[in-house]
Order: sequence, then structure tokens, then C-alpha cells
Amino acid sequence: MNPWMTYLIWPLIKFSIAFIAVQALVAAMNWIERRLLGFFQARLGPNRVGPWGLGQIIADPIKFLLKEDFVPARAEKVAYYLGPILPLLPSFIVFCLIPFGPPPTFAVTNNINVGLLLIFALTSTAVYGIILGGWASNNKFSLMGGLRSAAQMVSYEVPLGLSIVGVLMLTQSLELEEIVRYQEMNSWNVFPQLVACFIFIVAMNAENNRTPFDLPEAESELVAGFHTEYSAMKFAFYMLGEYSLMIVNSCLAVTLFFGGWSLGMGGIGFTTEVMQKMGWVGGLIGTGIFVTKMMLFLFMYIWFRATFPRFRFDQLMDLGWKFLIPLALANIFVTGIVLLAFPSRLYGDTVIAVGEIMLTVIGMIVIALTLVLLFKPKRPKVINASRVSEA
Amino acid sequence: MQVEYPKPKWTDKFLLLDMFEGLKTTFRELFRPKVTIRYPEERLEPADRFRGMFRFSYDRCIACKLCALACPIDIIYIDVHDETIEQEGKKKKVKVLDRYDIDVKRCMFCALCEEACPTKPKSIWLTTKTYELATYDRNDLYFNMQELEYWDDRPRYTGLPEEEEKPRIADERRMLGE
Repeated sequence: MNPWMTYLIWPLIKFSIAFIAVQALVAAMNWIERRLLGFFQARLGPNRVGPWGLGQIIADPIKFLLKEDFVPARAEKVAYYLGPILPLLPSFIVFCLIPFGPPPTFAVTNNINVGLLLIFALTSTAVYGIILGGWASNNKFSLMGGLRSAAQMVSYEVPLGLSIVGVLMLTQSLELEEIVRYQEMNSWNVFPQLVACFIFIVAMNAENNRTPFDLPEAESELVAGFHTEYSAMKFAFYMLGEYSLMIVNSCLAVTLFFGGWSLGMGGIGFTTEVMQKMGWVGGLIGTGIFVTKMMLFLFMYIWFRATFPRFRFDQLMDLGWKFLIPLALANIFVTGIVLLAFPSRLYGDTVIAVGEIMLTVIGMIVIALTLVLLFKPKRPKVINASRVSEA
Repeated sequence: MQVEYPKPKWTDKFLLLDMFEGLKTTFRELFRPKVTIRYPEERLEPADRFRGMFRFSYDRCIACKLCALACPIDIIYIDVHDETIEQEGKKKKVKVLDRYDIDVKRCMFCALCEEACPTKPKSIWLTTKTYELATYDRNDLYFNMQELEYWDDRPRYTGLPEEEEKPRIADERRMLGE
């Protein structure tokens, strides 16, 4: 094939598709989030514009475009304009690296062997936009929001980075495709790396400034935090960046812990080989599975927002430094010990990874135990008033 | 009755059961029926003792002006003239109501006029269920006695006042006494 086609045109087409789809999803997320939050709070959410309020998806961007674009008189102009744009860039680039489907289909660039590192490097630059915007607005609330964001992002980068080390020890690759292939041949990484998955989900919420950790924009303390002075399309850019990064992190969680595009474990079920035999239909199915899993994670974001109250700042720091980082280190330690103590053995013709199977079984037992205890009916012990008075 | 929940065991703490319990609760809430009433399409029926718009009955009114006296902000305007009518061969002086206007825009719906009314049943009462009193012009809230009696027939204002001529309320054929 013509190298221009292979290396420029075709990736560009793929990227455009992924980019447009993701941006449409970002616009839709606004409506989905408000609607779901409404449902969680016994109300209906936006339901007046169009059928089921779907017109809100178009109405909100139009409102953002038509509003007055206000710049504070004493703002630091360059930084003020850069602020909303900086978080957008990494989130756009990252979509090139995420494998949306089995290899020949939707991944824009195949075989980047440090893909995971590159994604982490890119997404962690998103905080600069928030800090710059908060500082340049010349507003004490914005500055507080920006500072908090800086501290929070730095704190939670560490557990986020440490949590994936366990996964890397199992899969022995930084390539996202390899990680997915490992998961479909063995088991989804949630089970052997349950603790890492928990840490990843918590840190991912904190990275995106979502509600249990939304201190940078804590509306009850800091007006609107770092975007207090932003209006119209600049504010929309911040929102766009935030939701894009949410989608990126959801994609990462799906790829790292929930089997990516595959639906099956131990080589059984919808694996890459099965999909590749089916041709382009298989590619579509794989992408569909991936997007479904990703949407479940986006739902989880909203669910967390509807459930958990915001942390205090010192609690946030305690959770990050005193709980999550030691936990992540312990996870790495335990995983390493188990993998070294129980190496893969050859039984007859088949290689059996004893340590990984042990971790998987333990993870499954813990999940099952949690579910059993969670759905076990709790009967409150009723003490009669007479018995209380006797005592 | 005193209720005591079992103390959390160490397993509960280890598995973060409190957190998942919270998530379970909110997830259950997601599928509960919603409390929102979509107002223009759906309306709540007010309670039986709801204080809504006035209603006035010309036939029951004896023109005693007690309601106007009771009104703390004096927004009931009553004009009365005497008439002599022959009843059972005797000449009798009767009070006839000329004007019974209420300036509802200043009314606070305290229902003191209803309390003061001596007739039985009351000739002015507020326990109707009409609460949609918004108008585009504040003078539309000044009601005379025909309007007060036939407020059921008052047309709903749907359009803006510029768009259509506001239909006049006083319908001559429905004047009292006919």
C-alpha cells in the first residue's frame, strides 16, 4: 500500500471518526448527566426541549456560543486564553492511542509499544490548563481552585501510576493491545488486580475533579473555583476538556481492567481471533462492546456524583497519601511476591500460570463475598421499650 | 421502639460495605417513581380547604358591608342604595347592591371577609380551588361582582396581550337579575 495512505490519510480518517464520535458523546454527556442526576434525586431532569429533552444537547452549545465572552479587565491575557485550550489538546491526542476495537479496525495508531506511558504523560498535562486559568483570572477564588487542583492532581497521579504497575507485572507490556490480549486469554484484570482496580477508579475520579473530589470547583466554598471568571465558549472548552478526559479515563479503565474490546476470558467467548475471523462485522462488534463498557464507566462517574458527598481538603490529602499510596505499594509487593513464589509451570503440554490463577481466584472470592454481604438482608434488632426500662 | 443495627464487623470495614451500601441506595433510587409534576400538562388538585380565588353570590348577599369592614387593607368596594318594595301588602325597605368590587391584586387571601359574612351559606368565600390568577396587566386583577360570580367562565389567557384582543369578561346577557 502507498505509505502516504498507510501513515497519513488512513489514520487521519480513523482519527476524524473517533474524534467526532467522542465530541458528540461529550455533548450528549451533558444531557445524560443532568438527566441521570435528576433520576437519582427523584426528579426528571431537563425534559422540555425536544423529545425527552434531547434538544438540550444542541441548545446548550448554542447558548454557550451566543453568550457574552467576558474577560476580566486585569486578567493575565495570554494565560487566560491558554487556560481552557490546554486541557483540550492532550484529551484530543489521546484518542489516537486508544484501541477502540480489535487491531485492524478502529485504533488510529497501532502498536505504540509505550502507549500506556504516553497516555499518562499526556493526560497529566491537563492540570496546567486549570492552574493557568485559575491564576490568570486575577480572582482569589479562582486562584484557590487552581492551587487545590494542582495539589490534588499531583497527589493522585501517584496512586494512579502505582495502581497500573500490578497490571504491567501481569501483562508484561505497556502496549494497550497486548494488555487486552492478555486479558482475553487469561482473565480480566479486575480479578487478579482488584485492589489496583479500586485504586485506579478512585484516583481516576480525583484526576477528573469529579464530585467526591471536586474541590477545585467546590461551589459551596469557591463560587465556581478555577472557572469562576470564565464565560461562554471558554467555559464550554473547560467542560469539553473535563468530559473528554472523563471518557479517556473510562477507556483506560476498560482497557486495563475490564478486557477492552473483548468479551470473554480464558480464550473463550468473543476474543480477538473470533472477531478478526468475522471481518468488519467483528470489528464493529468489538467497538460496540468497548463503547458499552465505556458508557458503563461514565454512568459510574454520575452514580458516584449522586452518591458521595465532597471530601474536606485534608481528608482528600489523607486519602491520597496515607491510604491509597500505601495500598498501591502493598498491592505491587503482594503481586510481585505471588508471581515470584508461584511461577508458571508446565503440566503436560499446557503452561499454567499458578500465581495469576491464585490472584484471580482470591479476587473473585472477595467480589463474591462483598456482593453476598451487601445483598444479605440486614434485620435490625428490635429492643422493646419494656426491656430497655428493665435494663 | 428502639432499633439497634448490628455493629459493623471487621469484614464489613475491610470490604468497604458502607460505601457500597450507599451506592446500592442511590441505585435503587434511580428506578423509583419521580415526584415532579410537569405543571402545564399535569396539575395537582388543591386540598379541600385550599384558599383560592374569591367567589361571590349576589343572591345571598344582604349588602351589610361587614366584609368591607373586616378587610384589613380595605380593598372591597361596596355601593348600596335603598329601594322600597311591596312584599305581602307591606312596604319594605331593602338594600340593593350597586357595586361589589374587589381589588384582588392587593389581596392577601386572609379570608377575614369570609369570616365576617353573616349569611348562611356565606355569600363571599375563598375556599375555591382556582389558583392560576396570573395576568399580563395588573388592572386585570380588579374584579367586579359579575366577574367574581362567574369566574368559572373567565377565559384563560393563552397568548400575549398584543397577539389577541383580550376578551372582555362582563357578558351583558349573564347580568344578574335576568
